[in-house]
Amino acid sequence: MSQQISRREFLKLLGAGAVTTAALSGCASATRLVKREPYTSMPEYTLPGTSTYYATTCRECPAGCGLVVRTVEGRAIKVEGNPAHPVSQGHTCARGQASVQTLYNPDRLQNAVRQAQRGSGKFDPMPWDEAIQVVQDALANNDPDSIAFLLGLESDHLADLVNEITAAMGARAPYRFGALGMLDARNTLVMANVLLFGHPGLPVFDIAHAEVTFSFGANFTETWLSPVFYTGAYGNMRKGTPGQRGYLVQFEPRMSQTGANADEWYPIKPGTEALVAQALGALVAEEIGIPTEGLFADVDVAAAARESGVSEEDLHRLAMMFAQSQRRVAIPGAGALGHTNGLDAAKAIMGLNILVENLGKSGGVSLMPESALGNTQMPSTLNDLTSLVEKMNSGKIKVLFIHGCNPVFELPAASGFADALQNVPLVVAFSSFPDETALQADFILPDHTGLEAWGYQKVSTASDRITLSSLQPVVVPVQDTRATADVLLAAVQAIGGDLAKQVPYENEVAFIKAKLEVLVGEDGYYAASDANTLWARWLQVGGWWDSDALLIAPDLTHAVEVLQKQPSALPAAAFSGDEAEYPLHLLVYPSPNLGDGRGANNPWLQETPDPMTTVMWNSWIEISPDLALELGVCDDDIVRVTSPAGSVEAVVYVYPAIRPDTVAIPVGQGHTALGRYARNRGCNPLQLLDIQKDASGNLAFAATRVKIEPTGRKHQLARMEDRVGVYGDRYGELYR
Amino acid sequence: MPLKTRLRLPALVLIALFVVVVAAAAVLGSKSAQAQAEQPIAFNHSVHVEELGVPCLYCHSNAQRGQSAGLPTLEKCQGCHSQIDPGDSQALQDLARYAEENKPIQWVPVALQPDFVYFSHRPHVNAGLNCESCHGDVGQMTVAEPQGDMNMGWCLSCHKKLAPERFVKLSDCATCHK
Repeated sequence: MSQQISRREFLKLLGAGAVTTAALSGCASATRLVKREPYTSMPEYTLPGTSTYYATTCRECPAGCGLVVRTVEGRAIKVEGNPAHPVSQGHTCARGQASVQTLYNPDRLQNAVRQAQRGSGKFDPMPWDEAIQVVQDALANNDPDSIAFLLGLESDHLADLVNEITAAMGARAPYRFGALGMLDARNTLVMANVLLFGHPGLPVFDIAHAEVTFSFGANFTETWLSPVFYTGAYGNMRKGTPGQRGYLVQFEPRMSQTGANADEWYPIKPGTEALVAQALGALVAEEIGIPTEGLFADVDVAAAARESGVSEEDLHRLAMMFAQSQRRVAIPGAGALGHTNGLDAAKAIMGLNILVENLGKSGGVSLMPESALGNTQMPSTLNDLTSLVEKMNSGKIKVLFIHGCNPVFELPAASGFADALQNVPLVVAFSSFPDETALQADFILPDHTGLEAWGYQKVSTASDRITLSSLQPVVVPVQDTRATADVLLAAVQAIGGDLAKQVPYENEVAFIKAKLEVLVGEDGYYAASDANTLWARWLQVGGWWDSDALLIAPDLTHAVEVLQKQPSALPAAAFSGDEAEYPLHLLVYPSPNLGDGRGANNPWLQETPDPMTTVMWNSWIEISPDLALELGVCDDDIVRVTSPAGSVEAVVYVYPAIRPDTVAIPVGQGHTALGRYARNRGCNPLQLLDIQKDASGNLAFAATRVKIEPTGRKHQLARMEDRVGVYGDRYGELYR
Repeated sequence: MPLKTRLRLPALVLIALFVVVVAAAAVLGSKSAQAQAEQPIAFNHSVHVEELGVPCLYCHSNAQRGQSAGLPTLEKCQGCHSQIDPGDSQALQDLARYAEENKPIQWVPVALQPDFVYFSHRPHVNAGLNCESCHGDVGQMTVAEPQGDMNMGWCLSCHKKLAPERFVKLSDCATCHK
């Protein structure tokens, strides 16, 4: 980026290049040299020039979208959504589309490696039988209490297998972590669901059929829970019902793409979501004539308006709209739940749904039905992870297996995870890429990437029915990688004894087939009378799901009781950092393109402009024009952002759709490893977060304040958007 | 009026010149013909086809089923050659080395259509045409040799011998230039 080429020079060069090309191609000989490279060994079913399509499941995030992948002669060419799949319904997001670049990424690990010195990046290749021996010795020669598994968010076959293995060994069930879960505050939402409905899972919001949707910071068209599912539902909300155009109101301090699509957007003060929901609830209850007790009693609407920045008039109007609509739903999104009062906010916002009794109804809130393969396991809370860090530090953890997440990058530095890793004698990572966490491991035993893998996924983030999604390899593994399930099973079989008897599966596919037996004869999208037919249909269709939507209504009476017992005076959100020293709220949000950061080594995703800012290949900090004027900074200035926990540098993007007291930085860049496209690019704002928890023991990721200092340096962001005159003369002044 | 005509004429000449240059660049620049180049292994068709009687479709099996005739995999070559001593034959030693390294052989195709032509082997083979009709008597060749230009006139020279109702479709531009 150091070399600057002006627009004029660029055009000159372009012209000269075009002329030269034309001249040379016009004069060149009329022949070409084509070479054909046939396979040394042809994959089954392939015909040269003929496409073969495989149904599988996307592994770029935990939502579990069904895919159909086009392959030609054993190469994955194009990813599309599986039209029959209840989650993706024929669509994918940018990350799914780009997953072929995960498969063919040049920086993937090519085989199992040993790293003699952690962090050195010097890998010695090792044969797989030695790698399995490492796992076998680790499992056999250590006390079960000193062995820990840390898995990603996916409720997949690997999680089920590891649960079986740890149960058979007497070890603790695997820890589960992912930045997408952390930045969605999924655990807080689950906890609210447990307290209100006694259901340990995520609720489903039927926005597809809602007339009025109030979204409290739920960015469901970009990253929240299951963006492809909810984006499809959003389309239905707008034009799925003849004669009705669903109305969307978004409350969030920084405008997301969902906010940009909303009919009304309220940039409320961070941490006041619960107050707004309470005020709306009290007004709705008054309008529909039900007595207010507990949470919605004695609410001071004027104070809520003052605190949040939504006018009293607007609150009244919105409450009327909500009360008078037939189908209305309120969504407790990430922005509302990521505060120290997040659990209260979740209860208050869910309380709106309980007030209007939309539970289990079309256009309302439902519970995900439990699949035949058993319950999905929810992510670990920050409390759980903190206790893991403590155990690691005190030397109680001798062996740590890490799969499907990158905690060194994704957990806030203040969590102390990276340092604690130094105190674990043996760290084994199963990452396909040499990411930040894998670089701190002694051994990396790379798993296949999603498009090469077998498996199943129990959809747990959003679907309108029981959905089990299948994974099958669409191509022969490109590198000498091995499925983690196979590595673990081989180690368990080699250990033998009781453990091998309790986990008796020969390999990964045998494990999956054994689990699927419960589906034989089950009536769903298809019914298979025997195991072989089921397996064939399972792979062909892309999984197993109910033929009809099955929405379960939570128990209303219990929920009402809980809300009646809840005192109406809620604690205010607390923030880390003294207001005088750190005057600004920091909002970190997952990038819709890079996700939790694993997309950063994918050039297609790096090149995809952010939907709101059009910035590519870098991090930026969104600053309102008023704040920019106050600080004397403008677009492309590098500023230093400091919180009580850390400090990063980011490039300014002047963003009119954010509160002047808030700044926002997307998550995903700032890698020090992972690969050539990811490394040394942008900043990782998670390093700024201080450890603040809500009542459910989860990270309040929006509870950190920061200050901003100009550095006097500039870095021109690559972006699609024009640099001058977009926001009118006042801001145009800044760019001169 | 005369002023306008005087202005218009050079403009027309310029436009015409531009069109000619662009057309020439398109035709010459498209590089439709395959360059002659040495094959990585001096594969002897005559031994396989004439002496041993191996059918064409044994190695180019996709000709019956798909657009491209396909090239045999190294595995298929080795199906027989793993049993044959290379002796002092350079070609067989080369093949053995490829097999040992499991390295794909980069063949140079001799019959190649440009990208703007849609051609499929399947209808031709299934209409009962012999491979020799287009590819020449490969049984008499050592390394396969290109046959003529394989251009549009060459295609049509056969198509126009067909029954008139079939010629209608097989002379339609869009049949081959989709």
